[in-house]
Amino acid sequence: MKINSLSREDALRQLVSSENGLSDAEAAKRLSENGFNEISAVARTPLFMRFLGQFTHFLAILLWIGAGLSFLSAYLHPGEGMSRLGFAIIGVIFINAIFTFIQEYRAEKALEALKKLLPFCARIVREGRENSVHSREVVPGDIILLAEGDMIPADARLLESSMMKVNNASLTGESEARLRDHMPSEGELLESPNIVFAGTTVTSGSGKALVFATGMGTEFGRIAHLTSAVEPGLSPLQKEIVKATRLVATIAALVGIFFFALGFFIGRSFWDNFIFAIGITVALIPEGMLPTVTLSLAMASQRMGKRKALIKNLSSVETLGCVTVVCTDKTGTLTQNRMTAAKIWKDDQVIDAKDYSPQAGDMLMQTALLCNNARFADNEYRGDPTETALLKLARERIGDSGAKRISEIPFDADRKRMTTLNRVADREYVFTKGAMEGILLLCCRSLVNGTEQQMDDAFRQKASEACRQLMDMGLRVLAFAYKESKGQGAKDKKQEGHEKDISRSPVPDPHSLETDLVFAGLIGLEDPPRPEVRDAIEKCHDAGIKVIMITGDGSRTAVAIAREIALVKREPVVIEGADFVNMSDRELRKKLSEKEIIFARMTPKHKMRVVSVLKEEGERVAVTGDGVNDAPALKKADIGISMGISGTDVAKEAADMILLDDNFATIVNAVEEGRAVYENIRKFITYIFASNIPEAVPYLAYILLKIPLPLTIMQILAVDLGTDMLPALGLGTEKPTPSVMKQQPRSMDKRLLDFSVLSRAYLFLGPIEAAACMFGFFYVMYGGGWNWGTMLQRNNILYMQATTACLTAIVITQASNVFACRSSKESVLGLGLFTNRMIFLGIGFELCLQLFIVYTPWGNSIFSTSPLPLHIWLVLLPFAFLLFFAEEFRKSRLRKGEK
Amino acid sequence: MYRRILAAVNEHLNSEVAARYALHLARVCGAEFYLCFIADKNAPPSVFDHAQEAMKRLFVEAEKTGIKTESITRTGQAVEEIRAIVRNQRVDLLFAATRREDVERRFYAGTVARSLSLKLPCSVALMRVVHMGKMRPTKILVPLKARISKVRERAWFTAKMAECCNAKVVAFHAIKPITSFFHGEIHLTPYEWEKRLPEGVSGFMEYLRKYEIEHEGRLLPGKTARSITIEAAAKRHDLIIMGASERSLLTTLIKGSPVEEVLRETPCDLIILKPRHED
Repeated sequence: MKINSLSREDALRQLVSSENGLSDAEAAKRLSENGFNEISAVARTPLFMRFLGQFTHFLAILLWIGAGLSFLSAYLHPGEGMSRLGFAIIGVIFINAIFTFIQEYRAEKALEALKKLLPFCARIVREGRENSVHSREVVPGDIILLAEGDMIPADARLLESSMMKVNNASLTGESEARLRDHMPSEGELLESPNIVFAGTTVTSGSGKALVFATGMGTEFGRIAHLTSAVEPGLSPLQKEIVKATRLVATIAALVGIFFFALGFFIGRSFWDNFIFAIGITVALIPEGMLPTVTLSLAMASQRMGKRKALIKNLSSVETLGCVTVVCTDKTGTLTQNRMTAAKIWKDDQVIDAKDYSPQAGDMLMQTALLCNNARFADNEYRGDPTETALLKLARERIGDSGAKRISEIPFDADRKRMTTLNRVADREYVFTKGAMEGILLLCCRSLVNGTEQQMDDAFRQKASEACRQLMDMGLRVLAFAYKESKGQGAKDKKQEGHEKDISRSPVPDPHSLETDLVFAGLIGLEDPPRPEVRDAIEKCHDAGIKVIMITGDGSRTAVAIAREIALVKREPVVIEGADFVNMSDRELRKKLSEKEIIFARMTPKHKMRVVSVLKEEGERVAVTGDGVNDAPALKKADIGISMGISGTDVAKEAADMILLDDNFATIVNAVEEGRAVYENIRKFITYIFASNIPEAVPYLAYILLKIPLPLTIMQILAVDLGTDMLPALGLGTEKPTPSVMKQQPRSMDKRLLDFSVLSRAYLFLGPIEAAACMFGFFYVMYGGGWNWGTMLQRNNILYMQATTACLTAIVITQASNVFACRSSKESVLGLGLFTNRMIFLGIGFELCLQLFIVYTPWGNSIFSTSPLPLHIWLVLLPFAFLLFFAEEFRKSRLRKGEK
Repeated sequence: MYRRILAAVNEHLNSEVAARYALHLARVCGAEFYLCFIADKNAPPSVFDHAQEAMKRLFVEAEKTGIKTESITRTGQAVEEIRAIVRNQRVDLLFAATRREDVERRFYAGTVARSLSLKLPCSVALMRVVHMGKMRPTKILVPLKARISKVRERAWFTAKMAECCNAKVVAFHAIKPITSFFHGEIHLTPYEWEKRLPEGVSGFMEYLRKYEIEHEGRLLPGKTARSITIEAAAKRHDLIIMGASERSLLTTLIKGSPVEEVLRETPCDLIILKPRHED
């Protein structure tokens, strides 16, 4: 039993209130107990805690330990430069924390947008007097007064109503206002005509209502709760990065510990071992990976913006690439939301609307023209798309009418029809249009070949069959009826002159007007699919992405449209809203596993359930939405997509991506870009990881061969956080390859850092670079007269030149590596060497930075380097070519192997 | 199990709503119904008036449904007086509404509700009323821990609440996601989760089956309190029935208290049950 089923007296009794409202004292008491009538956010981890969290994960802890040990070493052995290293490591921690936080941070503005939908003031009755109070002070038991234009402050049960219509769009997504009535009714509160909800608007009429829920207890509060409580969690890429960093950090730590122990057994000093352990750990950790990923995502989001997909949080860029299911609205997204009259059924035949020639006094056209609230002004049609299409059809056939409207029963979503009473010449006519099933029941005669005939069952059957036939063509079908009225409008003669002035017309009794009507015919309206949608759907199919249409239209229309855009090819599973509500999760799960599925006659409130079940099944879901009550589903989905043109602010704030053109094809473009991003991330991870080997090998040589350390830790950081960064970003801008949308979505089991990436970086590219850097080191050392086994001071020029050569070798081979990493299998020569300008910019930056490090006093001072003669560069250059062609050879072998 | 049910009423509307739930329960249990109002010594006359009026309304309502009802009004310290009534009348179950302070105070420490829950020798149902438009819940969410004590009484209470409202019950268990260091969170489908339904939950459902109550089990990975409130909001449950926290103050300080979090953020009416009847 709910308050909607109670009589007005019982409702007042339940809430211990009266017609005179509460007393001020009682209201104050209830306010203190129930709290303010306002939307509040659920408790979340504070922002600063989330930021602090970036300093306490596994990798960060490892780096903190490294920094701490460096400072300890600096304290115990001053002058060795270890404090500088400590600061550098802390810098790395901060850089990574900031970049990761940027990726994860998402301002919660959806709730703010929701709050704006609640009124500031409310008119209430307390102690028998009408008052205006701040709406946050409204309490359960208060009597609120509602009039046209009012926003409703709380959920309330109507006690009185006078032709009151409420627009529940913010809750139900229905744009049509609904007639409310104060009489008791059964069923769910949300569907009940005697209940009004917070956040909705009175569009006409007036009423008096008893508040029964306030603040977060309201239906609006429920949406707010779901919008703020549903946490999207880490994106697939973020999860992969966490796994990758854990893996790499563990490897680095274990390698460090292992070689520390090995050095100890070999008999090297603790101090040497210590430097080595820190060095190898730092060398194996790809410090630049997280900033590069973030920057690459930022650039990809800019590219998506140019393709009309506005990305709100960075990690969504890649998430798009791994979606497996897209749940999409129909109207406006798959279709153009531009209604046109396509077919007419009259006199037992279906006629193309464009070929239709009206007869004299054509009542079908008269009804379409006069039972219509669209307008033609300034050479354009204005109004609801359906009405506009009908007005255009009728105006172009019979021209404007001199008829005057006497009154109107507005369209109502429950009744599914609209009726007007018009004066045409000296006669009064009732015109009705609406859903076939409702209109047919109101008719007793039909218009056949210009004459009115008694309607029989055979005609009803024919009309129903025609309606189904039109729906199967994907048309939205409306039935039209009329009758000559005798006297209904006489009392309204005073109203003459107020043509289409609905607000001032009295609302007549539907029972007297909408009876004994003459059935005039059917008009099928077409909302043509967007031309690019068919290709986009095909692309989705090729890419292994399932597309589920969720529409408010009837199942026949939905299926027909789905066929037209090639969304379905066989007999799809169609679930209608009413069946959906009664379906258990288990049944729904089974249905959702079908290949082709359409949801018809659905409302936005159902979307979240569809998304939840799909996610529970392990799907990665993108969902579109535009209404306030789409917000929870948008938050719940892996990718919430809001409409930029028709979307509400709440939906836009809750979404991860905004479609600037409301077009489904834009989603597919974004998916393509997202997939390319993932591939690009793998490319630059290969690139970044390859340089870890030439960074690590000098340390191994140092400990095992008892030579001076060929590469310092600061020089490693110069590569990881300096020279590697921009070329890696260049790889992040590689365009999607044609094959990217021919592959199945990435499996959840597929690792970002899998064997193919690691083996290519660590076992193939890395060793070539390591050979180059060790060659450069020994070339300079031997060239300077160094003998094996001689240890040199850290500030020895020869030693500094040798480490500089080692560093330069890494930079030169990485410049070649960036080309090699542009593809994993395809020949770079085939891709076109000059097709990615960003790579050249990156290499330019890399070389400039290296020149700064090698040839400026600041660079020399910070990185302990020394200027190199030109011939050293030239000696190292062949290694770059070696790497490039060795990689081309490997790729060709791989391609041959695949064939 | 419940032969005598006591509802504590005060000057606030919430207590009257909670007492109505108690009344419905008394009807289906065939229990004697007691109403009590304990007034503070310094309470103004208006408090007496409001509470007395509420008692009258409830009394009339109870009489209409043919339940034997007795009302008791006393002056003094609420917890002590109620304890005395519980002892004297051998009350099996007390129904009381939570106050604003229970929601606002951390661990609702020092509140009357907490004292009642801890000190009374009978079972206690503390109710937070959020929505006054749903007098009879049609969907009840029952969050359960993996291991629960006094299963029989919990199931009985839930079954009777469901019976009096003709409601469907969802036994819900929020489980910690399965994670591994290198693989992160491991995704399991609902079917796979169902296989991991804890004994406590399946035992509870067995009782519901025995009491012929329409029910289903649901297991979801996630943070306990947040999962409960999201489930309640998303599936439009009208009432949550959950067990009182059994965590010590120290554990609550370290790990938090799901009961406290749900109490604060519940999107629908909530009953926190402290059962006393051993299985």
